[in-house]
Formats: sequence, structure tokens, C-alpha cells
Amino acid sequence: MVQPLSGQAIYVVLMRELKRYWRAKARVISSVAQSFFFLVIFGLGLGGFVGSFEGVDYLSYMAPGVIGMGLLFGSVFSGVSVVFDRQFGFMKEMLVSPVSRTSIIIGKILGGATTATIQGIILMVVAGFLGAFTPSLAFLAGAVSGIGAMLLITSGFVGLGVAIGSTLNDFHAFQLLSTFVMWPLFMLSGAFFPIDVAPLPLQVAMLCDPMFYGVELLRWCLLGTGTPLLGSFGLLVSIGVVAIFDVLMIAIGTFQFSRAQI
Amino acid sequence: MDNISFTVKEGEILGFLGPNGAGKTTTLNMLSTLLRPTSGTATVNGNDIRTEPDAVRRSIGYVFQDTTLDIDLTGRENLDFHGRLYGLERNTRQHRIEEVLDIVQLTDRADNFVKTYSGGMKRRLEIARGLLHHPKVLFLDEPTLGLDPQTRRSIWEHIVHLNQEKGVTIILTTHYTEEADYLCKRILIIDFGKVVVLDTPDNLKARLEGDVVTLLFKDPAAIETFRPLLENKEWIRRINIVASGNNYAAISRMMHAQHHPKNIIADKGTQFGGETCSKCLNLLVDNGGRRIPEIVKLADERGVLLESVELHKPTLDDVFLTVTGRNIREEEGSIVDMVRRHRIMQQARGQRG
Repeated sequence: MVQPLSGQAIYVVLMRELKRYWRAKARVISSVAQSFFFLVIFGLGLGGFVGSFEGVDYLSYMAPGVIGMGLLFGSVFSGVSVVFDRQFGFMKEMLVSPVSRTSIIIGKILGGATTATIQGIILMVVAGFLGAFTPSLAFLAGAVSGIGAMLLITSGFVGLGVAIGSTLNDFHAFQLLSTFVMWPLFMLSGAFFPIDVAPLPLQVAMLCDPMFYGVELLRWCLLGTGTPLLGSFGLLVSIGVVAIFDVLMIAIGTFQFSRAQI
Repeated sequence: MDNISFTVKEGEILGFLGPNGAGKTTTLNMLSTLLRPTSGTATVNGNDIRTEPDAVRRSIGYVFQDTTLDIDLTGRENLDFHGRLYGLERNTRQHRIEEVLDIVQLTDRADNFVKTYSGGMKRRLEIARGLLHHPKVLFLDEPTLGLDPQTRRSIWEHIVHLNQEKGVTIILTTHYTEEADYLCKRILIIDFGKVVVLDTPDNLKARLEGDVVTLLFKDPAAIETFRPLLENKEWIRRINIVASGNNYAAISRMMHAQHHPKNIIADKGTQFGGETCSKCLNLLVDNGGRRIPEIVKLADERGVLLESVELHKPTLDDVFLTVTGRNIREEEGSIVDMVRRHRIMQQARGQRG
């Protein structure tokens, strides 16, 4: 059944996400601080030992990975928050109104992607101040395309979050979600170490992680390099995989959400 | 729900009265298209709930039992979002928001976050929101659950006002008989998913001709010996044994003592005022006042000790007891229901963390 989209409904869900994000200062601060600790402590501690990876110093190498972490956690949790909306009622208010579920889900994905990307931009600025990027005109162009990449990366993960949040029935499962989904996705993303130094089974696992391509994409935008494993096609492959992941996850998220009972 | 059927007249207030789990909310969810009936259908404002759900949703407002406000937004933002979901233009939206805020007297708190509101204010805001898109029919699910008596009064007045001034047809659910009595033009008593009866409060009470006499015994075991003596009296129309401390006399005494409805919830043999009331006899008697001496004399002759005798005109509690055979005040919901209700009550009192 094709349902008509309502611009107003999309706007409502999007604005609600933005307002709630903006007002939950503690959450914003704590997640920025978490990434900041990663950058400073790992960057300084591990950086002195490692020296450089793929031709850039360790802090710069790690920065896109840490930004990716902010994007990943921000977007999945914002999608999963549909479980709260279902439990604490606001979802009923929307479901009893004459707007389609598809409009609600599009608003949710736009909202989640936007807030996670804002988070990513903050982290990019923080990493910049720590000296992870060389200020230049080329970097500025890269940063602008990086913002586009962030939106592309987060849309799919909000979709994944919505799909999970629509099937979960209590939020105690969050711990499981965090341990068994989010952290493996993050740790296999190549945020801290290059794929070509890992043993073969780990390389295969990393190549199966959509976030790996997300981090690659960010490295291409912010540093202008990527893993030698994918060679000069790295950028195109990354864009392709992330785009396919988006389409799949948004479709699955929409499907799961439209089946969900209140 | 089991084969229910009824018609609501335009401009009427119809109340669904029944205990928890009777199927009141399920019926509202079907009428509002949130649930699909397994068989049968209904029309709301001329639109079929199965084939024209969008038209139905456009013509109704629904105030849910648990709050569906976003407490991290202000009152005005909640209303503004609602107006947008219903496709109201900017000017109409702003005008209507002022209008409904004024109706529920929340204008000066409109720009505060909802989390700072009291239970009664949240309820009023939800009712205001339900009205924003000028629905033809407004569904209110337990509109005063967990509110204190004064707030309940003021919500009642808002509801009557809406119905009389704005001509909104209202369907509400309640398990408070006083609420149904005060607000509803007609009452539909639901029990175990079935419509038991549908009539005006006055007609329902008139069905019970006579007076209700409640006998409380010193020794509950005496009920069994005393009851057969009453059964052949032609002036006694009906005898009910009321289990637990939930009989009318007990309730009214507790209400007076505590001024709080939550204290009504009592188990079998609950102590109140130092006495145990596990069973009472509830009689429907012609000319009750004149018959009391006769009943007392009969008890005396048999050596049955009476604790107290109470007389009152039939209320909806009595009607409910008579037509369903059980007391509406008995809390028979599942444990999950009870926990959920507890949470709702706490939220309504603004204690939510």
C-alpha cells in the first residue's frame, strides 16, 4: 500500500529530534568528551609508539575513526529511541493522527542523521584543534564533503536502529545491543589500526563491517588517503557500499516500524 | 471483545463503565483505527473504520490513558506539533493554540516544559491537544485516573463545557461510577468484553426500585445462617453477598475517612477502623427505611449480631453489582496491569523520575 507523505509530519519528527538533541546538553557533552579522551589519550599514548600509519601520523589516522564512533553510536541510538516513543506514548499520538508511518520514519531518519552529523562536526572541530588535520584549502573542501559523507553514513545506521527499536520490547536489551552490535561494528571499523596489518580472518570480518567503509570514506574526505588494500578504487567502493547499506537499512527499518504494534 | 454493538448520538456524552480489563480501551482503540477488529466494523462520523481509517482519524481526537505528551517539549510545542500533524495552516494553528490554551486555562504556562507540569495540568494539556483540530468526536480514556478530587472536578467541568458549548460528541471510559453518573448522558456497562446494558444513569438507577440496605455482621459466618431467613420475604427484591471490604458502606466510610480513592483498593478481610469486613449482605428492599426495624428484629430473634446497618438510594455501584454480579471496585486486573496503573498514577501525580 502506497502511503502519501506529509511534509509537515516529516518536519514535526525532524524538529522534535533536533530540539530534544539540543536540549539534552549532558548527553552531547558526555559523548564529545568520550571521543576527546580517545583522541588525546590514545593519540598521545599509542601515537608515540606507533608513529604513523598509511603515511599519516597516528592522531590524524585515528581522528576519522573516532568521528566515525560518534556517528555510529549517535545514529543507532537515535533510531533505537523509537522503543522509548512506543513505551512512553508519543508514538501513539502520531499513530492516531492522519499521517502515514512512512512520513514518521523519514522524519526519524532525517532527524537522527542530522543530530549524529552535528555530533560528527563537533568532533571534527575538536580533532582539528588537537592538530589532527593540516589547515589548508584542500582540507576545507574535504571537510565539506566529509559532512555529506557523515549524512550518508548515519542514515543507514539510524535505519538499523529503527529496525532494532521496532522489534525490541524493553530497553534492558540496550546493554546487549551495545556489547554485541555497536562495539564490534566500531572495533572492526579500522578506526585504530589499518586492515592490512590484521590477520586474514580479522580482515574478512572487517570487510563485512559496513562501518569499515564509513571510516574509509571519512579518511578519503579528511585525509585524502585510504587503505592500500582497496587501492585507488577505495573511495568509490566505500561510497558504493555505504549507499547500498543505506538503502537496505532504510527499507528494513521502514518495514519493521510499519509492522510494530504500539 | 465479544460481539458488541451500539450507537452514539451526535452531541452526546457516552460513557463506557466497567472494571479494569473489561475491554473499554480495546473498544476505543478499534474505534480510533489503532486496532483492527477481527470481525465486524463501525462507522465514526459516517466513515468506516476498516475502509476509511484516514477519514476516521481526521475526525477524532483521542486522549489516551497514559500520557502521550513529550515532556521534554513545552506545552505550546506539543500543541504546535499536533496542529502540524493534522495539517493546520500556520495562522489557523496559532489561533487555535491560543483558543484551546484558554479553554483549559494553561495560557500562562504554555511556554514551560511539560515535565514541570502537575498531573492535572498534563491532563488538561492533553485534552486541549485533543481539541486542536476540531474533532467531531473526542475519545477520553480514563480522563481523571489518578487525579485528586479537586482536579477531577475541574476536568469534569471542562468536559461538560466542551460538550455543551462546542457540541463535541464525547466517548469516555471510566471505572469511577461517580464520574459516569456526573458526566454521561448514557452509560454503557461493559464486562468481560460484552455490553451488559446501555441506558441513561437515571433509568439505570430506576431499574433498581427500592432502596439498598447493607448489613455488616459482627461474625461473617452468620451470613450463611441469616440469609435463608430473608429469602422468603416478598419485600426483598434481591440479595447479594458482597465479598471483601469493598461494599458500599465500607467504601463510603473509607472515602470520608481518607478522602482518597486509592485507599478503596482492599483485599478480602482488610482491616479498616479496627474491624474486619470480609462479607456483607447487600439487599434491595422496597421501602427500605420502614423495613430496617423488621430486619434488626429478625436478627435479634436469631441471636445474630449486627455491626451496622446502612440505607441508601441505589447508585451506579449498585446497578453495576446487580447487572454484572460483581463489584466494580474489585481490582481484578493482572499483576502487569496493576504495575502499569501504579506507574500511571505516579506519573499523573508528577513524581516521575
